[in-house]
Amino acid sequence: MSRGRRVGALALVVGTVAAMLLHGRPSSSPIYDGIIVPPAPYRYESPPSNVRNRNQKPLGGQATLPVNNGQVSGGGVQTDDAQVIMFFGVGTFKVPPGATSVQCSIEPDPNPPEPPAGIDLRGNVYRIGCVAQPSGAPVTLTGTFHLTMRLPPGATNDIRYDDGQSWHTLTTLFAPGGDPYASVNAAGFGEYAAMARTGAQGSGDNIFSTLGRYAEFYGILAFVIIFGVIAVVQELRRRRQQQIPKPRPKR
Amino acid sequence: MSALVLAASLLRAVLLPFGDLLSTVVFGACLLAISAREGKAAALPSPASGGGKFAAAARRGDESLAMGRIAAIMAGLMVGAVLLAPVVTGRLSQRPLADFWSWAAISAVIATLEETAIRGALYRRWSEEAGPAAAIIAGAAVFALIHLPRYGLAAMPLDAAVGLALGGLRAVTGRVLPCAIAHTIADWGAWFWA
Repeated sequence: MSRGRRVGALALVVGTVAAMLLHGRPSSSPIYDGIIVPPAPYRYESPPSNVRNRNQKPLGGQATLPVNNGQVSGGGVQTDDAQVIMFFGVGTFKVPPGATSVQCSIEPDPNPPEPPAGIDLRGNVYRIGCVAQPSGAPVTLTGTFHLTMRLPPGATNDIRYDDGQSWHTLTTLFAPGGDPYASVNAAGFGEYAAMARTGAQGSGDNIFSTLGRYAEFYGILAFVIIFGVIAVVQELRRRRQQQIPKPRPKR
Repeated sequence: MSALVLAASLLRAVLLPFGDLLSTVVFGACLLAISAREGKAAALPSPASGGGKFAAAARRGDESLAMGRIAAIMAGLMVGAVLLAPVVTGRLSQRPLADFWSWAAISAVIATLEETAIRGALYRRWSEEAGPAAAIIAGAAVFALIHLPRYGLAAMPLDAAVGLALGGLRAVTGRVLPCAIAHTIADWGAWFWA
């Protein structure tokens, strides 16, 4: 075996073993090419009829945040399917005496409260709450926390919050570039949901976005064909050049 | 050569706000141009390696050591499967198969172009100048760096390890094709398990 191959075999073994070990780390990305993987389909608690067959149930999430010197030093919680994410700053909670930690949870609500008249729910309603540990006593909020929700396809006007009595409209910030996420500064524990006026059209339903979708599809197709043709032509030229006999030097 | 590949990746990151399609097409075009340019430049003598004779001999040696095509393809498939193994135990993403094909096509093109540029042109140039070990390490470093703008520092160790494995595969087989196959298979797994 040549030196080059020995070095190559060593690199192959070391690289493969290292890659397999590093795959176990949650922060690692499993892709190596730089193509954005489109997000998995939205998980509905009550799916629309057109996605009912392939829908997966939404997942909840919880996290335990330690209490140090009588306050929580911040942290985050997200659902296991990453459809809802929330972050707490330092001192967001007022905890009862004796609490060693705060347990926060986000759960999709299978029986949500009715939306206001003329408003439709968009996607799932999530029940968000935090309790002190080990007593299980409720904690109170001294400020707001940041809440980001993934939005299902279709129109969404805002994220609203139900405190057990009525729905409250929150100032909603939508992610740029058509990313299906929106966030709010949440002021209490309760039910959160994305909503839209009844009959509101999604941004994906107008003529321009439909044309844009087709343009993207045919753009990708053209991209693959053009580069494929160039690659084939280059390979043919390379082979042809290899076949041309080199002229003998004159003596 | 290394700087050109990194510049292509930087350009892609700069163009990302204008859409993934545009930035990806520009990135692919840059890699193709780099590979084509290197294909022409390969005929020229390399001053650092003592002239064209050594470089040409190195290329001939590289080609004469090349594994058979079928064996090389099998090696690529095997390495791709090994790279994919740790993620297949995870939860399935449930992305629809109908949308997979166009994504898979463009993913395969980009993976192949990356391999043509890094394990093809870049590897050959580094190998001629400083030997196969340097070529493998430089390729792994460039491979990790070009993914930095998109995936951040957290993904760099994994990308460097995969770059090392693909560089090793290039040296063992003497071909770029198995690297492209392994890379593409590993990428496609992201659709189902990421």
